[in-house]
Amino acid sequence: MARSPAKADFFEASRKAVADHELHRKLQSASDRHLDHVDETRAEFPPFESERDTARRIKEESIAHLDELLIELRRRLEENGCSVFFAADAEQARNYIVGVAKKNGLKRAVKGKSMTTEEIGLNRALIEAGLEVTETDLGEYIVQLRGEPPSHIITPAIHLSKEDVGALFAEKLQMPYTAEPEELTAEARKRLRSAFLGADLGITGANFAIAETGTLVVVENEGNGRMSCTLPDTYVAVVGIEKVIPKLADLSHFLEILARTATGQKLTTYTNFINGPRRAGELDGPREVHVVVLDGGRSAMLADPVMREALYCIRCGACLNVCPVYRRVGGHAYGSTYPGPIGSIVSPNLFGSAAGHLPFASTLCGACRDICPVRIDIPRMLLHIRWKESEDETRAIPWPRGAARARSGVVRFARLARHPRVARMLGRIAGAFLRPFARDGFLRRMPPPFNNWTAVRDFPVPRPRVRRDTAQEADSSGRVP
Amino acid sequence: MDEVALFPTCLAEEFFPEARDAVLVVLERLRLRVRVVRRAFCCGQPAFNEGFRAPARDLARRLVKSCEPGMPLVVPSGSCTSMIKVFYPELFADDPEMLARVQALRPWVFEFSQFLVDVLKVKYVGARFERTVAYHPSCHLLRELKIREQPRTLLSAVNGIRLVELGDRDECCGFGGLFSVKFPHISGAMLGDKLARIRASGANTVVANDCGCLMQIRGGLHRAGDAIETRHIAEVLAAR
Amino acid sequence: MAEFHKLIARLKTALESPAPSEPHAASSNSAASMPIAPSAQRVELVSGFAREFEAVRGSFLGVLSPEEAAARIASLAREVGARLVAVGEGVTLDAAVFTHALQEGGCAVERFGKLDDGERPAALERLARCDIGIAEAHYAIASTGTFAVVGAPARPNSLTLLPPISVIVVHVERLVLDLAQALGALGPDLVSAHRLSLITGPSRTADIEKRIVLGVHGPKTLYGAIIWPRNG
Repeated sequence: MARSPAKADFFEASRKAVADHELHRKLQSASDRHLDHVDETRAEFPPFESERDTARRIKEESIAHLDELLIELRRRLEENGCSVFFAADAEQARNYIVGVAKKNGLKRAVKGKSMTTEEIGLNRALIEAGLEVTETDLGEYIVQLRGEPPSHIITPAIHLSKEDVGALFAEKLQMPYTAEPEELTAEARKRLRSAFLGADLGITGANFAIAETGTLVVVENEGNGRMSCTLPDTYVAVVGIEKVIPKLADLSHFLEILARTATGQKLTTYTNFINGPRRAGELDGPREVHVVVLDGGRSAMLADPVMREALYCIRCGACLNVCPVYRRVGGHAYGSTYPGPIGSIVSPNLFGSAAGHLPFASTLCGACRDICPVRIDIPRMLLHIRWKESEDETRAIPWPRGAARARSGVVRFARLARHPRVARMLGRIAGAFLRPFARDGFLRRMPPPFNNWTAVRDFPVPRPRVRRDTAQEADSSGRVP
Repeated sequence: MDEVALFPTCLAEEFFPEARDAVLVVLERLRLRVRVVRRAFCCGQPAFNEGFRAPARDLARRLVKSCEPGMPLVVPSGSCTSMIKVFYPELFADDPEMLARVQALRPWVFEFSQFLVDVLKVKYVGARFERTVAYHPSCHLLRELKIREQPRTLLSAVNGIRLVELGDRDECCGFGGLFSVKFPHISGAMLGDKLARIRASGANTVVANDCGCLMQIRGGLHRAGDAIETRHIAEVLAAR
Repeated sequence: MAEFHKLIARLKTALESPAPSEPHAASSNSAASMPIAPSAQRVELVSGFAREFEAVRGSFLGVLSPEEAAARIASLAREVGARLVAVGEGVTLDAAVFTHALQEGGCAVERFGKLDDGERPAALERLARCDIGIAEAHYAIASTGTFAVVGAPARPNSLTLLPPISVIVVHVERLVLDLAQALGALGPDLVSAHRLSLITGPSRTADIEKRIVLGVHGPKTLYGAIIWPRNG
């Protein structure tokens, strides 16, 4: 039930997004503000680089012992009184959670922000089972009111302006129009507070699962995650298998880098530790805690020595904000729960070849790797996926005509370039042929397959010359040309 | 060391002959004998990046066999240099014989500005260039090879130059090889923002170390009818 | 649990492929040092905490004796016109000092004890109606301005979540330098047995155009005080 994008979706969707200048402005300003904060907090914290290395090492170690850690996590969670369910795929996860809701006769669910529940399409399943589902993270609440998925894994409503939100609240919540974030937030607080107090099911994801203590850690700023795991009588956490870390002492290394990169804070406002149902006589916490541990394609990534690195991701979202492609097309164009650079890697693994174009939609500029708190080599993984796609005929994904031409063109060029003399001669011929059509050395329009170049910029006519025009005609070795 | 090899790269050969010439001029002024690699034309990166490793291997094999470890190989492109230094080992991971040759060659491969500053220890090359210059760091140069300061060191020593900053967090210009023609709308949007930054910087010349970026930016400026010029860094260093 | 065993089998198979990078030594186990700072370092920790706490938009009430803190809280309650104040059981302090001061100032005080499941909804409703919640933290972290609050029946965690104004105090001896020290001090046993929240400032969001707005779900105002008893 994960939204699987249609075949050539990304091309169409990204074209529309690029034409939307207002979207572009909103993405740029929000992303820049985020990156400024990140720069600041990082600069103020000298141990940042060594914490990155430590966190990376712990992830490497944890993922390399994932089987043992999950056995320990399950044991500890169960000792703490949790029910633990391992779901091989999205459908199993959904069915289990719907089953819990039915068994307990649950009616009203409140959710903290969780990309994993987006990934498994949980909301629709619960609504179809007759539950009322309220997203309670402000950004998620906004996109839910609009009937859209989040466009960013940290800032779900990054594609909307305060005026957009004002108009939305005026329409859907029948409040007088205002574009003041303070007033809009106050209205959401009022509505969601009563949702929290009336809910019988709370759902969140988790940022970390500590095997040693059987504890889930949920990191957030608003307090809605805390409410979701504190107030309703039944609580469900949906956790990817890669979230497990060995020890409590490991956690600080992740917390020291997560918020600094995700939001530019030193720590988020709330770091919630959940380890089981409320104990006898306690006011806080659910009566039942269900932990759904999701594979959903992750074990396949684990089996691939290059793709395994994607499981180190701590979902900070910084690679989205720094990505020149994401910043132009926004999250929805990707047609996947996980947009941006890290999304282009995990989406084809989680959602199959429908997301096959995404790994190609990158200039391999490397900005994502530089900002990644656990130093995931995203460009290398994109290349790795491209090899698999391009070299395996059975996986061939359909390309729009222009792109298909470019792809076959590059192979033809490579064959030609094996013969440098022929290649140079063809360059001279092409230059001579094109020169009459050029204006001061540039062509404004070209036929396919070069029309995609001239669609946005002029094309310089080739000007190969074997000898230099300068006084020093031959190079000093005399051997050349 | 008095002899070096130069791999001009296909883009420079076809579209930026003055960049190739300028590299020769600068190296010769530094009293080096330059042997231009003519038996290879392209490093193979376009096919490699698109996922076609077999044709890329053919080209890579050709280039590696045209060069000898022991003689520095100067490449006036961050992208092609990183192809050789960073990606060739991956390309030949399953071919021990070629891998050994690549590993032997790697330490001898240098991007042009890196070669001047880090190997020759040169900062000042006697150049004079009286223009206002915005330097655009190409992505592979910056993030694969980590060459950040070398070009700036060389440029700031040029007489008469005025350097200005683009202030866009060294963002990609949108070229990305085949990306530019497969996703022209996204590439164009990135280019548009880069041009806006260039104009806002007050520069009348954009300098980069990669002909790919120069082709993208030059094509965009020409389309817009803009008088701002583009130069390979070697052209600036060769200017008197 | 057939699915679990299948998963573990899948993972074992997956892990047989070579790892992407060199295996590293076992994960760190550093932060187990005793966090209690000698008096000489306390002043530094206190000023660090105050600075960071204010930076995350907390309101720092100062370094106070229990009696001063009680008086300060009572006058705060008066200022905001609070009628109902929830007070949790202390960790190192006797919360009665706060209760008395508040009651003398005319506030009704809500305390907590063991509850039956049937009493829970009403108790939550009452807590949600409280104007102020007062809690003592187990630890506070100087480098981030964070309180580590540990729940118990007489000290529910939602005390620092539901009322719109939250007051958290911490004993000066429980001020630690950083997160690693705090987790080390709390320790695995306490973390697996209690509900723990790290609280760094009032509830906030930046979901609308990255503008920071306080009090989106949790408290809009967070007061913090460090308790340094006169004889301490």
